[in-house]
This record gives sequence, structure tokens and C-alpha cells, in this order.
Amino acid sequence: MDLLDLIDAVQSVADGLLFGSTYALLGIGFTLIFGVMHKINLSYAAASIGAAYGSLLLLSGFTAPAIVVFMAAALCGGVIGALVYFIGFKFIPVANPLATLMSTVGLLLLIDEIIVHTTQGVPLAYPALYSDVVVRLGPFMLRGDLMFVFVLGCACMVLFLLLLYRTRLGIATRAVSQQPVASQLCGISILQVNVLTFVVTGILGGIAGAMSGAAIGMLSPLLAQPLTVKGLIVTVIGGLGSIPGAIIAGLIVGGLESLFQFLRGVTERDLYIMMLLFAFLVFRPGGIFAKAPGRD
Amino acid sequence: MRIVNVAVAALLAGTMTGLSGGALAQERTVKITGFGAKSGVVRVFGVNSEAAMKAAAEEINKAGGVTLGDGTKAKLSAEFLDDRCNAEEGISVIRRIASSDAFVAVGPTCSNVAESLFGILQKKVGDASDSGLQFPVFADVAAKGGLAAISEWAFRNVPSELEMYKSLFAWLKREHPNLKTIYGGVEKDFAHSNATYGVMKKQAEENGFQVLGTGEWLLNDTTFSTQVREMRRANPEIVAISAHPFTTCGVLREMDRQGVKPKLLIGLTSSSSIETLQGCAKQAEGIIIPTSFAPVTPEAKAAAENVSKQGGSMDLHSAAAYEIMFILKDVIESQKIMAKPDTVQADRNKMRQGLAALKETKGLLGTVGRTNDREAIKPYLYVHAKEGSWQVLHKPSS
Repeated sequence: MDLLDLIDAVQSVADGLLFGSTYALLGIGFTLIFGVMHKINLSYAAASIGAAYGSLLLLSGFTAPAIVVFMAAALCGGVIGALVYFIGFKFIPVANPLATLMSTVGLLLLIDEIIVHTTQGVPLAYPALYSDVVVRLGPFMLRGDLMFVFVLGCACMVLFLLLLYRTRLGIATRAVSQQPVASQLCGISILQVNVLTFVVTGILGGIAGAMSGAAIGMLSPLLAQPLTVKGLIVTVIGGLGSIPGAIIAGLIVGGLESLFQFLRGVTERDLYIMMLLFAFLVFRPGGIFAKAPGRD
Repeated sequence: MRIVNVAVAALLAGTMTGLSGGALAQERTVKITGFGAKSGVVRVFGVNSEAAMKAAAEEINKAGGVTLGDGTKAKLSAEFLDDRCNAEEGISVIRRIASSDAFVAVGPTCSNVAESLFGILQKKVGDASDSGLQFPVFADVAAKGGLAAISEWAFRNVPSELEMYKSLFAWLKREHPNLKTIYGGVEKDFAHSNATYGVMKKQAEENGFQVLGTGEWLLNDTTFSTQVREMRRANPEIVAISAHPFTTCGVLREMDRQGVKPKLLIGLTSSSSIETLQGCAKQAEGIIIPTSFAPVTPEAKAAAENVSKQGGSMDLHSAAAYEIMFILKDVIESQKIMAKPDTVQADRNKMRQGLAALKETKGLLGTVGRTNDREAIKPYLYVHAKEGSWQVLHKPSS
């Protein structure tokens, strides 16, 4: 590998890490719902993209700045999150995880079809902040919009961790995830916590969808499927239920995906990410931050 | 007496009803079924084809409709089924159409669907050992080269991209003798893009351009920084992108970001559509694309307006669907198609024979030639993106 190749390899990793923050946010959403309800919500990434589409729809009559569009996406994400809970989780018996899984697959397809039929499947331009800014560091070049996405993603993760560890809602959420029956006996409303969990993860998903749209510059119904797969990979590699794991895994997957694309080309890129997933499932099924088995 | 009056009145009423029923029976409607993608990211192609078929049917009906084999005047109507750009669904849709009274179908949108679907048709007419479907299919959008050769029941009204890019590169060599190097970009997993890139590359090399490299990406890819970095390193004078609007725009935006400014941009035929301009007009400024449709003749302008009224937009693909409806009208009349439930297979055979016998047809940009392997030789021109619209850059025939 000559110097130019080395520079390109480093540049690829940097680009991937910046974009990986969207994967991390999606991973947090997947993992939080699993942490609280011990169920996988496969419609999460589709709902995130749906929220980003919703923000464009909500502001279609205005020329709103990008940051307002992101906030609208977060709002739409919260609403869609609550809807997903009531449609796909609320009325399905807790003891039947397969039924919930299938209902979220149904919701994934439903959301996808709603997007397709609302927009006729036509990709829509999505606004980005600092899209014209390019920061040059010697031979390296960092995109302003990706750096903004990265910073916004990190800010959301910090705020989310503060919410989880410094607020009553966070305490209740953690309590329900660890001991649902004991939490209920302590007066915590399981329904309320579940709904709020879906709303909060929906808000995160909305921001993740908006960030994906901003980083790519476009929204397309085609995004739902790859983001679902990436979100799941991040969740497994990070460790189901581990928020720090989802963050680190999101960045790792983003960085490696970009590096493999540079080294092996587009047709082999996803193969190596799948091999990474396979390796984790075999050798470290608990993910990066696998917990030692406890009494819970 | 009253009873007699009532009986006479009833008889008269019955006669009138019978007459009006008979008159109504004269007002027949012949349904032409189109099919293609009306879901997913290429839904817009299906929407445009349907609108074009409906606009053409309306035009034909306004001019008196179509005369069937028994002299009956019939109105044409168009319906459109969704195959979701999926080969299995395309085959299922064509079987559904073939199980009806239909004697021809128009579609599909995607080359991968056409390739599989033409494969289930009988390969050679009259081959008793081949139990393939004996049903004529007339493709409007599926653009991958040479597909009609798969079956004698398959026909296409799509332009020959080989001819178009052959002409374009020869023209580039003449008009821009100072440009020597070219870099390609291709959607590796899409049959049409991949096949056309092969054509672009071959024509570029045959015309003395040096191909410095090729960036590859997938149809649903969203980041292109690695490919564009390689492109920037190669520093080409021309960039030729064989991709559909979604990724074409992604690549053009990334080129803009990374400061890749080639002297000339070339695009894929399918990107000469409104979606590219809606997605990235600024970055696409100047891109040259050969196309078989532009509203440059009075007929083409009127057709574009009619299609727009039907909720679609006219481009090289939907123009083909529009033309197909007029071709079908002529064949129905010349072959004396009956369009009755008891003449279905005979009508299908007549339709196939009529289409196969065509030597040329009337197109929106002029006469369209027909080859022995059931393909079209369509007139074409080069357009370029200028100030947010497609404008004619050059007409090779003029």
C-alpha cells in the first residue's frame, strides 16, 4: 500500500466513523426497546425514515431551515414511536415474543408501503447543515455536513444517557427493564414507561432518520431495508440491551464498512460486515460489552 | 283494452331496451393492459407509462376509436398492473393477463423482469415441443440490449442504446478533440446500468478515449465518497455515469463536494428525466444524455401535454408506451383483430404476426424502424441539462 492508498484508507475510515453515528443512534433505539421490553422492534429503522419523510411533509408549505426540519423529524419520530407501540406491542401477549416480532415485520412493510405510496417512491431531497463546508486537514478532507451529523449524533447520545441515568423516567425505565413485576409493585406504571420508551426511542429514531437524510442528501424508501439490517448488526455487535455497546458498534460498523469498500470494492463490502456479525455471534454472542450472567 | 295497452307498452319498452342494448353492444371497449413498476423507487416509470397509455387511448378514442375485424368501432382503454420491478411478480402478472381475454400486453418497466418474463414465452412460434406462453408482449421501458431475441412473442419499442452511445462518442471525438481521458461510474447491481456501461466503455475506447478507471456502486447505495475520491485521483476530463437518477445525483453531489469538475459529463438514458433535475439540477448542469424523446415536434409537444394531464410526465420511456398504443391500433385494424372471448388465441396469433411484420412505425420524433429480431430503431437526439431543464444539444440526423 503506497502513501496515497494509506491516506485514502484513513480518509475512508474517517468518513465511515462520521456516518456511523447514525448507525449508533439506530442501534440505541433497537437496544433500548429490547432492554425494556425484551423484544426486537424490526420496524424501527423504517419508522425512522418515515419520521424523516414526515418532517418534509409537515413543513412542505414552508421553506424551513434544516434544523427546524430535524426537530420536526424528532417530533414525527415520537408520534410514530407511540403508534408503533399501540399497534404492534400493546395488545399482543407479553408471553408471545414471536407474535410481536412478526407484528413489527408487518409494521416495517406497512411503513415502507405508506412511504412509497405517499411519495410515489420518488426520492426526495433532504436538507443538510454545512453541506458546502469542507474542512481540510493536510491530505484529509472532512465533510461539514457529516461532521455536523456526527456532533448532533453525539449530543443526542449524551442527552439520552443523561435522561436514562439522571431523571425519574430513566430510573423507571431501567427498573422496568430489570424487574417489571417489582417495579409495578413499587407503583411504576408499566404502560406509561413502555409508551414513553417508544416515544423517546422514536424521537431518537426521527433524529437518526433526519441525520441519514442529511448525510446522504436524499430520502428514499430504499433506505429502510439497509438501515434495518445495519441497526440489527450494530445491536448484536454492541450487545443486546447495551447502550454504550450500540454507540461503539455503530461507529465500528460505519468505519469498517467504508474501509472494506475502499479495500475490496462495493460488491464485497457487505460480505465482510456480515462475517464480522457472524464472528461476534459465534465467539462473543453477548456483544462488545457482554455482561457476566447476573441474578436477573 | 287496458290490458292490451299495457301489453303494447311493455312490448315497445322491451323493444326499445333491446335496441338500446344492441346499440350499446356496438359501443365496444377493448382493454389494453400495461404492467410495470408502480411500487418502489422506480414507481415513477410505471406511473408515467400508465399516464402515457391512457393519454394515447384518449387521443385514439377522440379520433373515432379502433375498427375491429367485424367492422365494429371500439374504444380503447388502458389499465395498468404493478409488478414491483420484481421478476417473480412480473411472471405472475403476465400469466394473469394471459388468462384473460387480452390479446397483447404492454410492459414491463425493468429489464430484469423482461429478461425472466420473456423466458417463459414460447421461444419459436409453432414449436410444438415448446409449451411456453403464446402471448405477445410489447416492452416500453425495459432497456437492456437485445431482450426481444429471447422469444418470438417479445417485441420492444425502446431505443438502441448501442446506436445512441456509438453516435454520441463519435460526436464527442469530433466536437471535443482536445478531450482524451474518461472515468466511468456504474450501478453494478442493475442490469440496465451495467449493460449500458459496457456499451459506453467500449464506444469510448473505440473512439480513442483512454478509460482511466471505473467507480462502482449499488442501486440503493447512499455514500459515494470512496468512488469519487478515486475519480478525483484519476483526474479525468470526461466522467460517464451509467446510473439511474437516485445514485446519479448522489455521485454528482459528492463530486461537487470533493471538487471534481470534469470538462464534460455523460449520463445514462434513464437519467434524462425530470427526477434528475428535481434531485440535483445544479450538480447535473451540462450533463449530456442521448434520448429518444424530447418535446421538439408539434406531435411530441402535444403528447407531452396530454400525458401531463393524465398525471405523468413524458420521457423516453413513457413516449415509447404512448407510441405503442398507436402501433397496436394500426395492427388491430390491419390484422382484423376481433377482440371477442372466442377468438382470443387467434387474436394473439394475429397480433404477433402483425407486430412481427412491421417494417417501420410512426414515432413522436419521426419514423421508427423495426429490426428482424423485433427491436426498434428509434430516432434520437442529445439533450443536456441547462438551467434546470433538458434542452436539445444536438440532433444526429440533422
